[in-house]
Formats: sequence, structure tokens, C-alpha cells
Amino acid sequence: MNNLNNSNDDLNERNRKEKYISRRKFWMEAGMGIGGLALIDLLSQDQLLAAECAPNSGAKVDSPLAPKPTHYRPRAKSVISLFMSGGVSHLDTFQYKPALEKYDRMPMEGKGDIKVRQGYPGPLMKSPFSFKQYGQSGAWVSEIFPNIATLVDDLAFIHSCQGTSNDHVISHYEWNTGSIQMGFPSVGSWVTYGLGSENQNLPGFVVVLDQKGGPYAGPPNWQNGFLPAAYQGTVFRSKGDPILDLSSPGNYMSPQQERARLDQMSLLNQNFDEKYPGMSELSARISSYELAYRMQACAPEAVDITSESDETKQLYGINDPVTAPYGRQCLLARRLVERGVRFVQLMSGAYVSIEDTWDAHANIVANHTLHAREVDKPIAGLITDLKRRGLLDDTAVLWHSEFGRMPISQRGVGRDHNPGAMTVFMAGAGIQGGQQIGTSDEVGYRAEEQKISNHDLHATLLHLLGVDHKRLTYYFNGRNMRLTDVSGELIPQIVGKIQSAKA
Amino acid sequence: MFPSTQLRKTFISAVVAIAGVAAFLLWPTGLQAQKAASEKDALAVLQRCAQCHGPALQMSKLNLSTREGMLKGGEKGPAVIPGNAEASLLYRRVAGLQNPIMPMPPVPALKAEEVALLKDWIDQGAKWTPEAVKAAPDLTTSAYPGGYTPRNITKEDRSWWAFQKPVRAAAPRVADARWNRNPIDAFVRDLQVKKGLEVAPPADKRTLIRRAYLDLIGLLPPPEAVDAFVKDNAPDAYDKLVDKLLASPSYGERWGRNWLDVVRYADSSGFEFDLSVDNAWRYRDYVIKAFNEDKPYDQFVIEQLAGDELDHPTNDSLTGTTYYRIGPRVRFREKNYPSYRYDYMDDMVRTTFQGFMGLSVNCARCHDHKFDPITRLDYYKSVAAFWGYVDYDQPLVPKEKVDEYQKALKALEKEMTPLRQDIARIEKPYQEKRREQQVQDALKKYPPDIQQAIKTLEAQRTPGQKLLVAQVLTGGGDDVDPDNLIVDATASAKAKAAAKANQVFGVNDYGNGKKLKLNEADEKKRGELLAKIKQIEERLPAPLPVADGVRDGDYRLSPDGLGDSHIPGTGRPDYGLKCCFVPAVGTKFEVPPVYFAAKGEDIKFDETTFPVQPGFLTVLDSVNAPETHAPNRPDYVSSGRRRALAEAIVSKDNPLTARVMVNRIWGWHFGTGIVATPGNFGKMGVLPSHPELLDWLATEFVQQGWSIKKMHKLIMTSETYKMESGFSREVDLKDDPTNVYLWRFPAHRLEAEIIRDATLSASGQLNPQAGGEPFFPAIPLSLRADQPRGVWEVTKEEPSTWRRSVYAYIKRGLKYPMFEVFDEPDLNVTCERRATSTVPTQALTLLNNEFTLLQANYLADRVWKAAGADPQKQVKEMYRIAFSREPAESEMRANLSFLDKQKAAASVSGEAAVHSALGDLAHVVLNLNEFVYVK
Repeated sequence: MNNLNNSNDDLNERNRKEKYISRRKFWMEAGMGIGGLALIDLLSQDQLLAAECAPNSGAKVDSPLAPKPTHYRPRAKSVISLFMSGGVSHLDTFQYKPALEKYDRMPMEGKGDIKVRQGYPGPLMKSPFSFKQYGQSGAWVSEIFPNIATLVDDLAFIHSCQGTSNDHVISHYEWNTGSIQMGFPSVGSWVTYGLGSENQNLPGFVVVLDQKGGPYAGPPNWQNGFLPAAYQGTVFRSKGDPILDLSSPGNYMSPQQERARLDQMSLLNQNFDEKYPGMSELSARISSYELAYRMQACAPEAVDITSESDETKQLYGINDPVTAPYGRQCLLARRLVERGVRFVQLMSGAYVSIEDTWDAHANIVANHTLHAREVDKPIAGLITDLKRRGLLDDTAVLWHSEFGRMPISQRGVGRDHNPGAMTVFMAGAGIQGGQQIGTSDEVGYRAEEQKISNHDLHATLLHLLGVDHKRLTYYFNGRNMRLTDVSGELIPQIVGKIQSAKA
Repeated sequence: MFPSTQLRKTFISAVVAIAGVAAFLLWPTGLQAQKAASEKDALAVLQRCAQCHGPALQMSKLNLSTREGMLKGGEKGPAVIPGNAEASLLYRRVAGLQNPIMPMPPVPALKAEEVALLKDWIDQGAKWTPEAVKAAPDLTTSAYPGGYTPRNITKEDRSWWAFQKPVRAAAPRVADARWNRNPIDAFVRDLQVKKGLEVAPPADKRTLIRRAYLDLIGLLPPPEAVDAFVKDNAPDAYDKLVDKLLASPSYGERWGRNWLDVVRYADSSGFEFDLSVDNAWRYRDYVIKAFNEDKPYDQFVIEQLAGDELDHPTNDSLTGTTYYRIGPRVRFREKNYPSYRYDYMDDMVRTTFQGFMGLSVNCARCHDHKFDPITRLDYYKSVAAFWGYVDYDQPLVPKEKVDEYQKALKALEKEMTPLRQDIARIEKPYQEKRREQQVQDALKKYPPDIQQAIKTLEAQRTPGQKLLVAQVLTGGGDDVDPDNLIVDATASAKAKAAAKANQVFGVNDYGNGKKLKLNEADEKKRGELLAKIKQIEERLPAPLPVADGVRDGDYRLSPDGLGDSHIPGTGRPDYGLKCCFVPAVGTKFEVPPVYFAAKGEDIKFDETTFPVQPGFLTVLDSVNAPETHAPNRPDYVSSGRRRALAEAIVSKDNPLTARVMVNRIWGWHFGTGIVATPGNFGKMGVLPSHPELLDWLATEFVQQGWSIKKMHKLIMTSETYKMESGFSREVDLKDDPTNVYLWRFPAHRLEAEIIRDATLSASGQLNPQAGGEPFFPAIPLSLRADQPRGVWEVTKEEPSTWRRSVYAYIKRGLKYPMFEVFDEPDLNVTCERRATSTVPTQALTLLNNEFTLLQANYLADRVWKAAGADPQKQVKEMYRIAFSREPAESEMRANLSFLDKQKAAASVSGEAAVHSALGDLAHVVLNLNEFVYVK
């Protein structure tokens, strides 16, 4: 009883582990849902649990997250979205602009009214970072991404993304939900609504936050909006239980007691449900308790990286305190897609303070040097690891932000928000690497060639997953709603030859 | 009363026009006299006038598409006197000769030669021959500017069922007399018979009382009430029960919550700062009170839409208008983003029409409605109905009190001013020094090129250097200036709220509050002055209670958010307006114009179309709604547009409003409405399953004075409502598997809030504190970090947080997890009906959340107290509390064996083990389907 007043956060890590191990043990003894019990002798506990938690090993149940057929043959099964909250400067990362060097500290002219978010428009400002060309494709990358730079031939850069607002929150909604209005379902919700998930033992849409806190706009970034609650993003927490309420506070019950409690619920529920033939929601509720029970073992298994080799951990930068937090997020993403989770979003940037995000108003050098260092090695490690394990082909990786930044300076050394142009890159899913798609004007103020809207990007992402964005609809308030509203053009360089064959 | 943009523009175009005319008149007179006006060309020019004064739209009731219409004229009299242009209103308008000067056509102005042409044409008799009409573009099918032609609203469109006034049919007679007593039953049974469906028997009394309690008040019946009801053999025992529950204050707490779904209620505004709507809770309490007092629904609607525009407003009606303030709003530098205003209007149109009338008028924002006969012009007319309002904190005390309060504030302010001036004097040299220091710091901090720019003499700086210096030295980067918070009668309440917002994680300081460092002597002097100011501040009167309401005013001048300066905001369009944002007593208020198809994204473009007047939906023109109904009182200036809209919505000629509300009531009782899409009665909605019953109920609702409680009584005393839910025959399951025809009572899951409330009523820990400021349910701190903006007081599980769920703070940026997983609706749009989804995270919440575990233990305590140590008695008592029934023998056996097993497995022994096992059983019970379902 006393333990009840301890919050989840304070729970002793050791107790937690012991508890899961004993639950696993219990599970094995009870022979819950395991087809190949004979294997027990051959497998270690870890291996056994991994087998239990593998994709589609969950009991076949009436679940809203059951896998659903695609419209086309899918190019990817899962998505990893690497979202840089606060607004990454395209001009200091992947868009090299000689014109900015030429016109450094001169007023920007001929662009109409310059709409700044803060203060007054300054003069043009060249990037404080040096740029070099990399790979066979010769892509320009600034010095702050030395590791990602080595992979440019695997990446397709889109330099002409354009949003509509210079407000952080509205732009977060725009790129993460498809609408600038608050309350629309997030991309991950749409994807899991359309496709379900491959692993019923884990949530289908997982969000991993920056260890310091949530991004701009907070939970509405991963909310289900008008879609059913089954499709909301589940936050995996870096400390304590990965999922809220995954275990009871304290060592409240032994695994035996827990199991007995579940069995009792199941028994009494069946007694009740018999009177209601035809009401599948009642039996679905019983199933959901079994799923929850399995999740209690499988979610900790998914986040437990102790079995990963030192070499792998180093690849993600987990040995370095600066790169370790995002490195863990990236490694977790690989483990999740490996286990069949449909959509994983990793946030970089915590809106605890502006400087904990990519929002480099005050100083580009200080802000971007730090945040780029935090994510560069982990992201490169993730793509390398996915590739060598053969997972990259089945995974669409998307690196993006809510807007780019201004070619003009703010207070001399910072840059203000600029929804006019932004660079995103994609990898995996059979996307042709080494591409440079679209351009912005010579100073990078506005997208110029092949402007890409949020709807275009989302339509393209859905297409890679085998979903026609025009046919993924949900009836709400009198309309068949879509992620892409009434627009969305596929990006031809990303989707390649359009597939029309049924999967 | 304000010089509008329109006016300024007109003045300019009038000057241009007059100059043009003058120039024209300077032409050789012979040429002018000889020029015969081309009739065809004149009619072509007139076509532009007919866009707003033509067949489609007759502004000022003027129709210039025919000669008769032109001669008859509009509200201002005949438009043309043939042969006398100087005396013709039409000419005087286009030439800018008529006061007040209004631009005709607004944009673009006629060219000078076009004006001259019209003059000549009128002077020459304003001929309008068929040949010329043929040659000129067709005036009778005039499109609107920009090529917009509204869809035709056909007879067929008007014949849609929902646009017909409800017809009260006589209730059918059915064979079973029991089903003839209540017309509801006759309608329901009649359809069942026709479909060959069997019908469930009446539910037993225990089921019935649990159903009625959960349904009407959202709490479990106390076991004693169940026993008394079972024993009461009076024929009206059930009627008395329903009456008792309807009279309970808990009724409003349960049913008010339903209404809050319709109006997308939340306590915070969402977006970046997720600021609190400080007095949203007063509106929540107003809604609860309205339900408890059985406020007639028509009045309820009017108060929310126009409670301030009534002839005799009350504190309640003023609080009703918080309806406008509880939607998603940015509330940050609003004036920099004119499009926000249009989005808020869209929110109001959507919520009002879907919520009150079941019509998705908002779908016509960018084009005519794709399915329903609602035009884009209808949409903008609806926007125009709302366009006059601004956010306004309505004091909830008599005017004398407000005056007194403001007088007291002013007096104290007067006392403080010289003290502040003294401080400023002391600080001045330091300020200057700090500025100097800033320059020096900048020189050190910034790269050499910026240092160079600063050092360069002002006159010699390059344009780029000038920009740099301006940026670096003026502190032009401040994101928010908290000094720009609205200063009014509620100032201290706002300051308090802002302070509260900071208390957990804090918003950015943005460099404010940094005190200048002074030398010792000056520091002392300043300290003394500050102490004096503080003393005066302590005498500040307590803030007045206000409703976060609305009133008519000029939105262009309304200070809506942090970072909005009054006039003009940075980046906001300069309308050239001065003065204040609410009209003064004794003035006439003109609502600022709203232009057709305007979106606020590009002001210059927006104003190229025509201004739209308010008006009700074309398809419902039979309602005959006036455009305005201004309050009949001298002390309050308001356009009356919102009131006119509200009155059109509840008009006896409106076919929708009563239907929509009775359908919602029905849906909240049975889980599904007669129309299964309560927010959509249009073509994309679902047709009514019982159309005649719906109509009968709608007419009954109005006949009963729009009494919601009378509807409850009628529905709950029907046989339909009293049926058993756990019943089935094969024929029913086969022919009507989803129970559309109600052959059994539809069991349905409780909503998130009611699951929590029922849990508290089971554990006996419900804190009965009603109304007032919201409480914050306990959440883990790690969750708070997901959305650090806005308020969330960190609490722990304790009685102060065990109030009814309706009083929980609702934060748009961070939902309370237990509500979120159990299908709390999207907080940003009106909720048509709640979803019932089933996911493992719900199970995790009820299995492991501290709240449920604690309450399970309290339930065990309660059982222990009543039943003692005897396990049989314990199980019985548990079932009495949670399910209002006795356990079946098999259940008793299963539960006893469970208690044994858990006792043996407990980590403690003796009585503690018995207690622990009982806690486990209580926890099992709170998780069961039977617990979270109304059966």
C-alpha cells in the first residue's frame, strides 16, 4: 500500500527488472500462447521473450491495429520520422548558397515585404559554417554534419519544402498532422489507421521525445484527432516505464497475483458477455487486457538495449554523453521497426527553453553546433545499422523540421523563422539516394523549383507504404476527411515509377 | 463611428474620380455635347453595379438589372431620374458627389470615362432598349465579382427531409396495450412489428435503478437506495425515482458535460502558449446550472450566442457568451496574423451550425457545399453575423461597482505615479549607462564586422550596417512584451493568471524583470519608493468577478493576445484607426466590413470583393429572419447581429433546431441518436431510423416549452427505455444485428469522465465540492514535461483531486491520460458523438494507474466496514455496491476461490492478507465490463 504513493518515475530500476524477469518466467511456466513450447530447452530466456514479442506473434485478436491490406504493393513497411523541433536552418546544413557569401551583410532586396517573427529584418548573412561536397553525388553538407555527410549517396534531399506560417506551433501541426488547425490526426495516426501494425504486442505508433521534454506544440503532434483513440501515438519514456501505467506503482503485486487477477477478470467478463451476443466490443475488451498483459513484457523487452553489442552502441554514439540521448532514441527506433512497429517518431528539441530546440534566434553557431552534434552520429548510425541489417529497404526514414530559417540575420548572429524554404531528406524504402530535389532561390528565402507542400510530402510517404492518399479517408462531421485534405502531389523523384498494381 | 479603411480608400478614389471628371469636363465642350452616349456601353458599366445590386444580391434592396428596378430604386430612393444625371443618386454615388462618400463600386473604381458615360446616358434619358440589352452582357444572370455564381437552390434541395418542418403524426396503435401508453413506445413498437422483430422484456428493478442513476447523474446508486427501490411496490415508484434524480444537483454535472462536448469546451486555448481561459469555469458552471434549472433550450441557445445583446441581460446570460471564448485560439500576436480572425469565425460557424442545427455550413468556406444546399455566400453571411464581436471581459457586478472599482484603481494609480516617476528619475543615468554598456558589450560579443558597423558613424553606415545596428542595439528581438497585457478592470486577475501559468515550468522571461543595479544610496532610495508602492498595491481592491464573454466592437482594435500592441501591432495592417475597440454609449456602431471570400491571408486582395451583410441560410429563407435585432437599451451599443442569428436558430419556423436537440438527448440516453449523426442532418448524415418519432419528439419538445427535463421523463418512463439489455432472439440478431430498432436496451460503455466518477462513487471517496475553479488531476511529472506551456498545477492523488470529472481542468495541449485513452473527444471541434474504441492502453490505465489502485483499496475498505471478515458477505457487499445486485452462485464460488488464492499469494499474512485479497477483488470489479457499461 505504501508503495502506491511513489510515483512511477521514482521506481527503483532494479526492482523493475526483477519483476519483468519473473513475469517472463511465469509466462513460460504458464505456457501462455507459445506455439513451440518444446523450444524452451533450446532458447535462452531473452531469446524466448524476443520470439514471443516478435511481429505478428500476438494472439490473433479482434484489434483495431490488426494489419490491413494496402492499395499498392508497398515499398516500405515502417516509417521512422526524425523530427527536429524548433526549425533547422537549411542554409547552415544542406543548402550551400554562394550568393550569401557574395551579399553577406547587405540588405535583402526585391523579395517584397519581409515577414519576420521577431524584431526587425537584418541584412543577409552567410553561413558561419564551411561547406564541402561529399560522395559520388557531390552533395553539399556543412561541417556540422560530418557523419551524415558520409551517407549522402543514400539520401534524397528535398530543398524546396514550403510551409505557410512562421509560427512554430502552427507549423508543427502543418507538417505533423497535415493541417494548420489544432486537433487534426497526426501522420502516424493516419498511417496506423490505414495499415494497422505488424506487432500487436506493442503500440503501432510510438513517439520518443527528447530526453529534456516535449517539442513545440506538445501532444497534439501525435494525437489521433477525430480518428479513434486506438490510433493515437504512444510516448515511450526514457526513464522508468516506457509506457505510462505499464506497471503498477511499486512492487504492488507478484506476477502470479497479476495473472490471477487477469484470469478472474476474464472469467467474470465472459459470464457477463454471454448475455450480449453480437456485441463484439465486449469481447474486444477482454482481448485488450491480454494484449496489455503481453505489452507489459514486450515493451520493456523492446527498450532493453543491454543485449546490443558495444560496437552497435558506439555506432549510435551511446558511449558519448552528448550523443547518447539521441543515440538511444535512434537505437530504440531500429529495435521497434525490427519488431514491426509501424510508425516511430523521434523528437529532437525540447520546448523547455528555446535553446533546447533548434530555434536559433540568438546564435546560429552556438545553437546548431550543439544540436547537430547531438543528432549527427546517432542518425548516421541508425541509417548505417538499418542498411547492414537489411531493414533500410523496408523502412522509410524522413528527416524534417517545421520550417527553415532566414537568409538574413537576427541580432547579427542568429536567424529568424522562415517557412518559405526548408530542406528535408529521405532514405530507405528503395528511394534513389544521392538526389537533390527542388531548389530555393539564390539566397534560400523561398522555394523556387518544384515547391513541395506538407500534403505532397505526406502523399509521397503514404505512397511508399502502399497507400493511395486520396483513398485513405475517414468520415467525420459530414465529410470524408483525408490526411492530404484536397491536395497532395506525389514527388516523382521519390516514388520513382508510379505503381498501380494491387499488392 | 470609426473612420474605416473603406472610407479612406473611398476618399482617395473619389478624389481620383472627381479629378478625372474635372479633367473630362475640361475637354472641348463641342466634343462632349456631340458625343451620344452608347446605350450598350452604359449597360455594360451597369453590369458591374448589378453584381451587388442585381438578381443574386440586392444590397440596399436595389436591383439595377432592369430599368424598372433602377427607376424604383432601393432603400435610399430612385437610383436614376432619366434626363437628370446631377439629381440621380446612381451618378452622384459613382462620381463621389453624395455624402457620406461611399465607393461605388468599391474596388476597382470606375474609370473617369465610364463615369462620364453614365452621366451622358442618364442625361439622354437612360434608354434601355432590348437591342442594347442583347448587345451588352447579360444582366439577369449576374455573377459575383471574381466570377462566383452561387449554386442554385432548387425545389428538390428544399424538399430534403430535414428542411421540412416537423409534422406531428398521431402515434400508431400497436397490439400490446403496454406499448400504447407512451407515444414513444407506439412509434418504436410499430416499426418493430413491421420488421418482425421480437422485443425484450422489462429490465428488473435493480438493473433499472443502476441504469437510471448512471444515465441521469453519472454515479452508482447507493445500496440502500437500491434496496428501498426494490421494496417500493407503489406503481409510481420508478416515476418518483426519475423525478428524484432529475432534481439532484448531480444531474447537471452529468448532462452539462454532454453539452460541453457540443461546444468543444476546454479551459485552455491551445497552440503555443496554451493559455488559460481564466473564467471558462464560470461558463461550465453556467451550463451545469442551466441543466439543473431546466432552462428552456431556446433561451439557453440565445444566451450563449447573444446573452449580452438582450434587452435585460443577466449575469447568467453574459456568462453564456463565454461560448465564443472557449474555442482553440492562438492569443499571441493575433494582429500580426489577420487570418486567425477568419479561422476563429470558421470555428464559430462550424460549432454553431453543426452544434445547434446539424448542418455543416463550415464546409462552404472555400466553395459552395458539395452535398447540401449551402452556398459560399451563405457561409460568409454567417461569418458576417459573427463579425461584430470582440472578446470582452464582462463584469458580473452592477455598473456602480465597476465604476467604484475603477475609481479606486485610478486613485491608487495616482498615488503611485509620482513614486514611479521618482524611480525613473533615479534610474535614468543608469539606464543611459546600461545602454552605453550594451554598445560596449556588443562590440565585444559580436564578430568584427558587426563591431565595425557599430563603430561606423551613423551617416556613413552602409544600408546593411544600418540594419545590423538596428538589430543589435535596439533589442529588437524581444518576442513578447508582457507590458502589453490588456489593462482593464480585470488587470490584477490577469496578472495573477499569468503568474500562475509560470508556476510549473515557466514561460520565457524574455529579458523582463531584470532590475537595474544602482549604487548603495540610490538603491536605498529606490527601495524605499518600491516599498511605498508595494504598500499602495496592497490596498488594491480585490479583482471583480468577470465572465470571459464578448460584445460588439472593432476587432481591428481589440487587444487579443500577448504581444499585441493596441494600435497598431507590429506587422498588423495599418487601418488608420484610432480610439477604442468597443463603442461608447450614445454612438452608432457599424460592424467593420467583411468581404466575400476573404481569408485574411492577403488583406489587399481580400478587399477586392464585395462586403457581405449578415443573413440566414438561403435554403431556410422561410424562417424570415431579420439581419439584426439590437438590444433595446440606451446604455449598451451593439449591432444585434448575433441576437438575430440566435433568434433565427430557435425560431418556430426553423425545422432543425428542436429536432437536433431531441435527437442529441435521445442519443445520450441510448448511445445512438435517431439520426446516428447528430451533428449532420444533411445529405452526408444518416437518415433517421424513426423519422415520425423524431418529428413527434421535436414538436413535443417545443410544446413543452423546450424543457429538457420533460424530455428525459418522457423517454425514461417509456417501455423502450425500461427494456432489458441482456436479451436476444435469433430473429433480432439476424435482421437487426446493430439494434437500430431497439428490440433491446442498448448496453453502452460509460464515457471517460463517468468511468472515473463511478469509480469514486464505488470507493465512497467522491469529493462533493461543486462548481468553482477547476482542479488538476494528478499526473506524473514526466508527462507534464511533454507540454511545458500553460498551467498544470502538480497535484497528487488526494481528496482535493477526487471531485467530479466535469470539474477537472481541460488542457488542449495536454489531455489527462485516463480521459484521453477512453475516447475523450477532440477538444477543438464540436463533438458529434463519442467514439467507443478498445485499446490495450485503456486496460493498462485501469490495471496500473495509481488512481484506480487507490480507489480499489478504498472500495475494499468500504466493503470491509459493511461486511466484516466474512468472505461471503464481502463478495455480496461488493456486488451490491458495484452492480446493484446479488452475485450469482457461480460468481460467488469463483470470487471466493479468488480471494483464497490471492490471500495465499499475498506478501503479507493474517488479516493484512485478507485485506490485500479483498483489494484485489475490488480492483477486478472496477475493471469488469459490467462495471464500465450501462446495461
